[in-house]
Order: sequence, then structure tokens, then C-alpha cells
Amino acid sequence: MAETGRLTRSRSAALTMGPVTLLRVAIIVAIVVVWEATARSGLLYRDVVPSLVVIGRAVVGQVLEREFYWHLGWTGVEIGGALVIGGLSGLIVGLVLGGSRLLSSSFESFLYYLGPTPKIIFFPVMIMWFGVGPSSKAALGTISCFFPIALSTAAGMRQIDEILIRVGKSFRANTWQMVTKIYLPAMRHPIINGVRLGLGVAIIGTLLAETKLSNRGIGFLIINSYSTFDMPRMYALLIILFVLAIGANALVSRLGGIENIRRN
Amino acid sequence: MTAAALGKSRIFPLFLGLGTLVAAILLIEILIRIGAINRFIVPMPSEIAESIPRVIVEENVPARFWLTIKEAFWASILVTVVGVGLGALLHRVQLLRLATETWIAALASAPTVLMYPLFLVIFGRNAITIVMMGFVAGLPPVILKTIEGLAGTRRVLVNVGRSFKLTQTQMFWKILFPAAMPTIFVGVRLGLIFALINIVGVEFLINFGGLGQLINELAERYDLAGTYAAICFVILVSVIVFEITERIERWLRPAG
Amino acid sequence: MRPIKWLAYAAAIAFSAAPALAQDKVALTIGQRGFWDTAVAHLGIEAGIFKKHNLELDITYTAGSGETLQPVVAGRVDIGIAAGTLGTMSQFLRGAPVRIIGAEATGAADYWYVKASSPIKSLKDTDGKTLGFSTVGSSTNSIVLAFIKEFNLKAKPLSTGNPAATLTAVMTDQVDVGWAAPPLGLQQIEEGQIRVIARATDATIVRGQTIRVIAANAQSLEKRKPVIERFMRAYREAIDYMYSDNPKVFSDYAKFANISEARAKRVREEFFPKALMQTTEIKGLDTLMAEGVGFKQIPAPLTKEQLSELLQIPK
Repeated sequence: MAETGRLTRSRSAALTMGPVTLLRVAIIVAIVVVWEATARSGLLYRDVVPSLVVIGRAVVGQVLEREFYWHLGWTGVEIGGALVIGGLSGLIVGLVLGGSRLLSSSFESFLYYLGPTPKIIFFPVMIMWFGVGPSSKAALGTISCFFPIALSTAAGMRQIDEILIRVGKSFRANTWQMVTKIYLPAMRHPIINGVRLGLGVAIIGTLLAETKLSNRGIGFLIINSYSTFDMPRMYALLIILFVLAIGANALVSRLGGIENIRRN
Repeated sequence: MTAAALGKSRIFPLFLGLGTLVAAILLIEILIRIGAINRFIVPMPSEIAESIPRVIVEENVPARFWLTIKEAFWASILVTVVGVGLGALLHRVQLLRLATETWIAALASAPTVLMYPLFLVIFGRNAITIVMMGFVAGLPPVILKTIEGLAGTRRVLVNVGRSFKLTQTQMFWKILFPAAMPTIFVGVRLGLIFALINIVGVEFLINFGGLGQLINELAERYDLAGTYAAICFVILVSVIVFEITERIERWLRPAG
Repeated sequence: MRPIKWLAYAAAIAFSAAPALAQDKVALTIGQRGFWDTAVAHLGIEAGIFKKHNLELDITYTAGSGETLQPVVAGRVDIGIAAGTLGTMSQFLRGAPVRIIGAEATGAADYWYVKASSPIKSLKDTDGKTLGFSTVGSSTNSIVLAFIKEFNLKAKPLSTGNPAATLTAVMTDQVDVGWAAPPLGLQQIEEGQIRVIARATDATIVRGQTIRVIAANAQSLEKRKPVIERFMRAYREAIDYMYSDNPKVFSDYAKFANISEARAKRVREEFFPKALMQTTEIKGLDTLMAEGVGFKQIPAPLTKEQLSELLQIPK
């Protein structure tokens, strides 16, 4: 959901605030009414479209349940581990490829090709290598987020102003100083964007793996509510997950995005 | 030659890239043969290569490939028609766009593929679920890129249209749509890639359909070499789709 | 892998309520959560039986036989419970390091049903209709193939996934005949929404045959023989406990399967005679292997030598 995630916000927000808000409310009301009518009509088979009251109660039930946080914690650990390992290795590979024209033209196409393959298909292999526990989920998250981070780091490195590099060299900075003082600050924007994309795919990779074979995590809860046909709980979990994922995405964008754009 | 000069040449990097790949494969083969890597976990590359013809024939790979392609085809038709349609609608009705564009962008960053158990319940364990999953995943980028493309049409072109007194419909088909085409295709391409990722992924997860299921089945049957071969096959398919769509994108992009 | 292990370790401290004791850890995969026959480990843990034997179980439930065996074969878990007998044999024949250490289900409680309003009264009415089973290669798949062969049906087998998905498929007319195993579907039967038309035991492949087994990784079995034997003792004790008069059995199972205690009791009394759960003998091997060859699940019946290597059931 890469390049499209970031958007031009409405320019004349102040002027149109009134009708826009009104329309938003109208759309939400319309959806609620149609949903509730479908739920109560009994046209669809039991519980496929549960009443919003039931879903709301299930959301509250999840949020108040202690066990939920245990699962959320494990998912968080898996995604965190994936981001640390995949992110750091992606960063290093990106820096190396971005810094050398020879290496980039030799190896970067491999990354471009592997980038858009569905990572979940590596899960059987990850189970064999890392077992059925959280490690195999973190491993899948790692290979998911490695690619966007490596590619945007490499691309970001090539966009750095030549002058900055020459300045660094004229100060006789060593490689470490060049990376920490010149390259990384100048590439903050593409790196943060890479992390944002990486976080998105790490969440997907980790949770999908949890739905396939696991005994903990939010993905496990979702597939478990499916196999016991607990539809309100499944809706509740999906809603909570979407809110968390969208929130995390917005947070990362906010952290690195806005002030940085101004500087450019 | 210096490293920089080598980087500029076209043949050498290709040679280096492929050479490293071949060397890595050989190294793995040797490590497995001397027992440094457990052969119950990683099969020898030669075994994988050997298993390819067997997997293709015994597991009906052409039929599975065709099934996955058909699912991807229907998903991308849906994605294109609905996505471009909605994008055009949002472009026309500014108020609607202001109200919903951020929602669509938010949806694009949500892990919608996790809805597959829900889709299983609604549509059943069949190709419709898979196509719908691809559709949901691919829709947001198409809508957003369509809006971007239509909104980015150059003033001059619009003014030319106005001077010819074109109707709204003519304006759209003769001026706006062709001008927005390259950007829209960027969206459609993204949509297609997301759809394909989700289609193969869901096939794998629900053990139904084409190439994704093949990997699941071979893994469950402990056909190690076959599993790795099938994974290579899926990578190959995504490389081909990626490459073809990138060529189209470049071809559509206006010069300069 | 270090950082992940470290993180996992940190998480284990942060999130687990009980501190790790010096117990032997046994990792398990179990096919399909919630059935009576796959609840032995859970109920045994709840009753403190495994703890008494100094065993700590790490359970992962799977969607079926293949998924249960895969981590066992890769040596990532020690034991897989409710793996298909024929599936395990076929992997063994491929050279997978897997052994059978006990029977899991001899006979089966699975049943086939239709929507209450359906004109289908018995299997004989299913010509030209669709018959659901879970996934290709599973025991339900073999049973459906056996139905078609034995009753000479012209029905079409259709993979419909787990009982929950199958129920939806039946109720929305995506498939004519669905499968389930108790307790799933009992509520719908009681409410008159669905009607049972066949039971797994109607097929000879099931009657008196051990269709699912307890499988172990060969290396685990070799290196940790005392632990695995202890596990089997505890497992048998847990089964005895499940058939005792202790009311905790039903209350725990009801909670586990998300059903009422009355229905939990019905599941045991009506569908799962204790003989179904015996672990010491793989029954009806000859019939099973013959059927397996017929359905191309195994290339040929196993020889005596092969069987003596595969079957390592602790006393």
C-alpha cells in the first residue's frame, strides 16, 4: 500500500469543514443503518452479519480481557523482533547497495524481484528452520520488512546531495562518521518511509503466520474465533487490529514525516 | 578497470550477480553434502532441480498456474473497474473526496488480508473468497492513484477541452482520462501486485486453489524438494508479472 | 536467531504468570482444537496430571493431519497428536524421521449431515450432489471416498474446510452434505436446523480401524525416550481421568469447547466410547493399508520390517 498511503490533505480544510463533517456523519449513519437492517432481517445466515450492538459488546469484552493483552504482547514481541532484525539488516544492505554502483547494479534486481512475492509462502520453510513458536513468526515478519527497508534506503542514499558527501570527505570523516553524520541524517525521510512500509508488511507477515500455525498472538485469536464460529469476536478482533495497525502507521509517518518534508 | 568503471558497464554486474547466485547455490549444495546443513530441513539444490519436472507433471502445475492466473485476472478486472470508477466519482464530487480520501488511505495501510477468515464464512471456501481477497487488497491504490492522475491533468489541456465546448463526458474520455492514464496505470499495477500477493497467500492459507495450495500440500506431505521447487515457481511467476507490468508502465509514461 | 530468542525470553518473563519450573518440556502439535479426542492434553493439564509426571506441555493446535506432522518431521516439536495413520505411513515411506507411539482414534465420531429442509434422507440420495470433507489427504477425505465406493454413489467430493466453515457452506447451499465432529453441530441438531444422514462408522475403513495416531519425531524418541514414555503414561492417565466420574472433566471441557456442560456430557456418552480412545494398539492395519493403496495414499502395504521400525508404542 506503498506510495499511495501518504496523501495530500485537504487544502481548504477550514472552509469545507462543515459539509465534509456532515457528509462523513451521513455516510457512517447510512452504513450503520444498512448493516443493522441486514443483521436484523435474518436474510443472511446466523451471525455472518451480527448486530453492531453485539459487535460493540465483543470489542469491549476483548479490551477488558486480560488474556487479550498476553496475546497482543506476543504479537508485539514478534513484530518488534522482526522490525529490529529485518530493519537493521535492511538498513545495512541498503547502505551498501546505495553506496556502490557496482553492487547495486549487480544485486539490487534480486531485491526488486523478491520484494513483491507473497512472503507467507516461505512459512513452511520458516517452521522447519525456526519451529512452531514465536521465532518462525518473527522470521516471516523479518523477511517481509527487510525488502522495503533495504530498497528505500538504497534509493534514499542515491538521492543525497553530492555537496554533502563532498563536505564530509573534505573533513576527512571516516566511514562510520560518514554514515552517522552525513548519510543517515540526509536520508531520514526515505528511511522512515521504508520503516513505515516495512512495519505494514511485518504486521501482515507475522499475523498471517499466526493464523496458519500458532498458539498465541492476535492472528491466533482471529483464526480461533473462526474455528469456533464466534463471529462477533472475529469482527471485534479485526476492528481492534485495524485501529492498531492504522494508528501505528500514522505514528511512524508523524515521527519522521512532517518536519522532514519541510526541511527538504 | 576501476570499480566505478565496472559499475558502469552492463555485462559485468549481471555476471557478478548471477555468478554470486550460482556460487551460493553450489556452497549450499556442498554444505549439505558434507552434513553441515541438516538435509531434513534444507534439501540439496540438485534435488530441488531434479524435482521440478516431477512436480510439474504430478501436481498438475499448468492447471494450477492457470487457476491462479484466472483468479488474478478476475480480481484485477474488478479492481480496475471499481477502483477507476470510484476514483473518477471522487474526482467529480469534491465533497465526497474530501470526506473519504483519508479513509481510503487509512484502509490502504490496514492489514486487510487478515479478513480472510471472515470472507471464508461469507463466501465459503472457494475461488470467490480468493478473488475477493485480491480485490480488497488491490482496491485502495487504484482509487488513490486515479484521483491523483485525474487531478494532475494539466490546466492547458483542460482549457483546450473547454474551448472546444466538450461535454462533461467527452471531457472525461477525451482529455482527463488519457492524460491521467500513466498515473492510473501505476495504481492498477500496484493493485495487481497486491492482488496477486494476496491471492497466492490466501490459496496457501486456506489450502485451496492454485499455486499457493501447491506449496502447502507439498509441505504437508513432507516433499521437501518439491516444496522448495514450488516456492521457486511462485517467485518466478511474480518476477514475470512484475517485469511485464513494469514494461507497460514505462511504455505508458510520457517521454521526459 | 539470538535476538529473537532473547526477545522471546524477555517476553516469557514479562507475560507468563507461572515461573518456569525444572520440568521436562514436551512440544506438541494437535490436529483440530475442541474435539473430545483432541482434548486429552488440555484436560490433563487442567487436572494437573502432566505436572504430576513432571511434564510441561507446549501445545499448538493445527488445521489437520499434514500440518500436525510437518513440525514433527522437521524436529521442531516432539509429538504430533491425531495425525492420519496413512499420512504418517506415507511420510515414513518417504524417509521422514517419524514414528508412531500410540493410537489416537480407533473408529471416529465424525458424522455427515444436511440442512433440515434438504430432500436428502440418506447417503443413497446423494447422486449428483456434493459431499463435504475437510482437506485433501485427511481422514474425512478417505471416509468420503470410502462412502462413494462402498455405497456405489455418484456424489462429488468437495473440500469444505473445518466444521465451522462447512456448516456455513451447508446452510448457504454451497455444499449439499457437510461433515462435522462433536461437539460441533450438536446445537444445530438439537435445534432442528440440520439432520444427520451418515456416520463415519458406516464406512468399513473406519469401523474398528485406528485412523489417527500419535506420532513422534524419531530423533526425539531416541534421545528422550524416558520423557516420551512418561508422556504416554500421563496421556493414558488423562484418558482414564476423562472417563471418570469427576465433574471437573465436563466443566473444563465445556469451557474449552465453548459449550454447555450438559452437551459436554452428551459428547462423551453418545459419541466417544472409551474404546475409541485406546492408545496401545494400532488396529485393523491390514484393511487400512489395503484401502490406503486403493486411494493412492501409500504406494504399497508396509512390510513387517517397516512396520516394526515405524511402530514404537511404549508399554
